[in-house]
This record gives sequence, C-alpha cells and structure tokens, in this order.
Amino acid sequence: MSEIRVNDLTHTFGKGTPEALTVLEGINLEFSSGSFTSIVGTSGCGKSTLLKMMAGLFDPSDGEMTLDGQVIKGTDRKRGMVFQQDAVFPWMTVAKNISYGPRIHGEPKAAQMAAETKWVEAVGLKGFEDRWPRELSGGMRKRVDIGRVYANDPDVLLMDEPFGALDAQTKERLQSDLLTTWKETQKTVIFVTHDLEEAIFLSDQVIVMSARPGRIRHIEDISLPRPRNDEMRLTPEFLDIKRKLWKMLDH
Amino acid sequence: MNSLKRILSGRLVLGALSIALVLGAYQFATVQPDNNPALLPPIPDIIASFFTNVEAGSLQQALWASLYRIFLGFFIGTSCALIIGCLVGWYKTIEFLIDPLIEAIRPIPPLAYIPIIIIWFGIEEFSRVLLISIACFMVCVVNVIAGMKNVPQVYVDAASTMGASRFQVFRTIAVPAATPFIITGYRIALAAAWTTLVAAELIAAPSGLGFMLQEGRRYFLTDQVMMIIVIIGACAFIMDRTFRAIQKRLMVWSEARD
Repeated sequence: MSEIRVNDLTHTFGKGTPEALTVLEGINLEFSSGSFTSIVGTSGCGKSTLLKMMAGLFDPSDGEMTLDGQVIKGTDRKRGMVFQQDAVFPWMTVAKNISYGPRIHGEPKAAQMAAETKWVEAVGLKGFEDRWPRELSGGMRKRVDIGRVYANDPDVLLMDEPFGALDAQTKERLQSDLLTTWKETQKTVIFVTHDLEEAIFLSDQVIVMSARPGRIRHIEDISLPRPRNDEMRLTPEFLDIKRKLWKMLDH
Repeated sequence: MNSLKRILSGRLVLGALSIALVLGAYQFATVQPDNNPALLPPIPDIIASFFTNVEAGSLQQALWASLYRIFLGFFIGTSCALIIGCLVGWYKTIEFLIDPLIEAIRPIPPLAYIPIIIIWFGIEEFSRVLLISIACFMVCVVNVIAGMKNVPQVYVDAASTMGASRFQVFRTIAVPAATPFIITGYRIALAAAWTTLVAAELIAAPSGLGFMLQEGRRYFLTDQVMMIIVIIGACAFIMDRTFRAIQKRLMVWSEARD
C-alpha cells in the first residue's frame, strides 16, 4: 500500500503580501498504489510545484496531501525524487552514489554492497561502478539518479521531468528501462513532464493541467496494453490520445 | 625537428627562459663599472652569503624558527576557519549571530593588530603565532563560508528526499560539495601566513627569516637580504606546489582540477 491523496490543495507564493501569486488552485487527486501517473501541462501550470510539495520540500498554503492516510510534512525516504537537473553527487563514485541511501540509514555493510550490486546492474551501469560521475554521459548520470532513488527503497517515486535534458534516443531508452524497473518493483510513480508522448507511453493515467493558476483540466485513462514497446508510439490509438490531449494544453 | 620545437616552446623551457633573462639582466647590471655592490650585490656574492650562513648554522636556525611559526599559525588559523566557516555557512542561526562580526573584522588588515598584540602579550613567540593565525583565519573563513553557501540546492534536495537528516546533509553533502572552495581558502591562507610572518618578524623577533632580513638591513649586508628574499620565495613556492598536488589528489572527482 502506498496511496497518495491530494485534498483541496491551493498554493499561493507570498500569501498575504501584495505580490501574492496563486500557482495551484483546488487540486484534488488520488494516486492508487502501484500506478504510474503522469502530470502534463505547459510551463507555469504548477506541476513541478505540486510534485515538490509531495516530496515535502515545502508545504502547501492551503489543503493537504496524505500518503497512506498520513499527512505529508517534510521530506521522508518513503517519497523519493528524481530531478530534472543532474543530482549525481560528483565526489562519489557511481557505486557510492547508488548506496548513498542505505549508507545514511546505517544499514550494515553487506546490505549496502548488495544494494550497489543490484541497482548498478538494474539501471544498466555494470562495469562503471568505480567511475566518477564526470566520466559519464548525461543519460548515464540519469541512470545513476534513478538507481540511487530505487536503492533507497521508497514507497513512492516522484519524477520531475527527469529526461527533459536528454536527446531523443537516450530518452526513449530510458523510458523503456524505467517501465521495466517499475513493473518489477511495483512502486507508485508520479511523473511530471511537458512531453505528451512520454506521458502517454509511460502511464496508466495522464493528468492534464491548465495554467495560471494551475488547475486539473482533464484526467485520461490510458488503456494501451502493457508491456509497451516503441512501435506503439506510432499506432493510431496512441496518436488519437495524443491529439486529444494536445488540444487540451494551453498553447 | 617538430618535436624539438614543441619541447622548446613548452611550459618548462619558457618558464626557465624568463627567469634566466631576469637573472642575466640583474647580473649584467651588477658588473657595470659604476655599480655599488652594497646596493646591488652580484649573484656570486648572494650565493656566497647562502653558504656562509649555512656553515654558521644561522640560516637553518632562522628557517626552522619561521617554518615552525608558519605551520602552527596556519594550522590553528585554518582549523578554526574550517569549523566556524562550515557552521556559519550552513546554519542560519549561527550565521545571523557570527557573520556580522566576521564582516566587521574582515576589512582590518591583520598587521593592524600588531600593536595591540604586543601590548597584551609582549613580543613572545605566542604573539607571532597568534598574528599568523588571525591572518590565516580571516582569509580562509570567507572562502569556507562562500563554499557552504554555494552548495547546489539540487544535491541538498536529493539527499533530503532520500531521508537524510539536516546534520547528515551537512556532513555528507555540504562539506564535500564545498571542498573546492575550502582548498582555495587554505591556499590563500598559506600565502597570507608568509606575508604576515615576515612582517611580524621584521618588527620584533629574536630569530627567523624576517629577523635575518632586518639584520641584513642594519649591517648593510645586502647580499644576505637578497639571499633571504630568494629563500622565502622558494619556500612559499614549494609549499604552494605541495598544496596543489594535495588539491589534485583530493579533487580527482572534480571536472576542473586546477
């Protein structure tokens, strides 16, 4: 069980001041356990803000969010996050980055080693364990970011445009690999992106947001069969969904 | 032919060339008939002064006295700077408490403390080490604070969302992320230590390189003065190079290692 609920959430930056800016208004959402949900919307719709609040990096001005009934307040290892920026710690080797979570939680050496071995392999970085992050490509660093969060064993995975800065081929590879990992671990994933194709390809459900202030415009269930493969991106069903959602975005 | 050209235009050769040119010009000036060797001692005299002082043991004694002060003052000053700088740069409460104090004291050149230190502590060894410590602390602490303030937010957020406590983020993220700044602070502190050392010894010291400079001036031993200047330059250079080697070792992970 790892279900996230967002109840009547409104967020205003600088609330009570003349420059107050409401970025999210009246958000109600439910993310069921083990589901893969994407949130799409043009920039400024508050999707990243919403995700960061789920991570506990800051609190909403009104309303609340719960994970399995418990109100979310502050960061917690249960809610792991992958960022758009490169967050690999450059002073640690690939392996040490991966085992960062187990290490700070005081897990025994053997468990740390096991996490390293397991996740280095799972994200496709075998042979690169002792490399410094500066020696890796952008795509490989993203793999480190993802492996590090998984090795920390969170209940929920929050991903904030993780593949935004990558080239198209690398992006597609990482999307497929992410689906494989997701299927094996059955963790709840909430994925923020502005890329419709990415959202549809990955998700069970795509949430479309409108901007200024950010509101929920539409929730689309994606019934494309799983496992999904790259050819599906070009099927009529896929493109129909894409067309439908595209019209809903603010252009 | 090509490889010879490459060697000749290399860093080492060109560096040696510029030094040789300066030395040559200097020596040329000293052999002019109207040169006064008391003002511009010829290079052989300077070298002779080196050997005379080594034989007498006075150079070694001065060198050790000075190096001892440098190392002690550097160690105390930078250690305090590391601890205080990390805390000020990371914890807001401590910053609000201590930062105004540091900012107020920072513009004062360390040499301005000499009179008050002499009044309080006399011209003892303690006074000289204290002065060097203050100088090292001041230049180093500013860099440590800057390093802690420049820790990329995404590293902090990444560690926090993995469940790291505020103190764990401090220890495992902020301090390592700030090492490039911290090492730079240490290097500047080393240079400051030399500057302050010589000034302190010029004013009041029974031994040391600064003392030998002063002695040379008093007895018009210009060759000794020149010799000590070269020794100080050489020592500071060797120490800085050693530091750069250490920096390279510590910063293997960094993209910009120089």
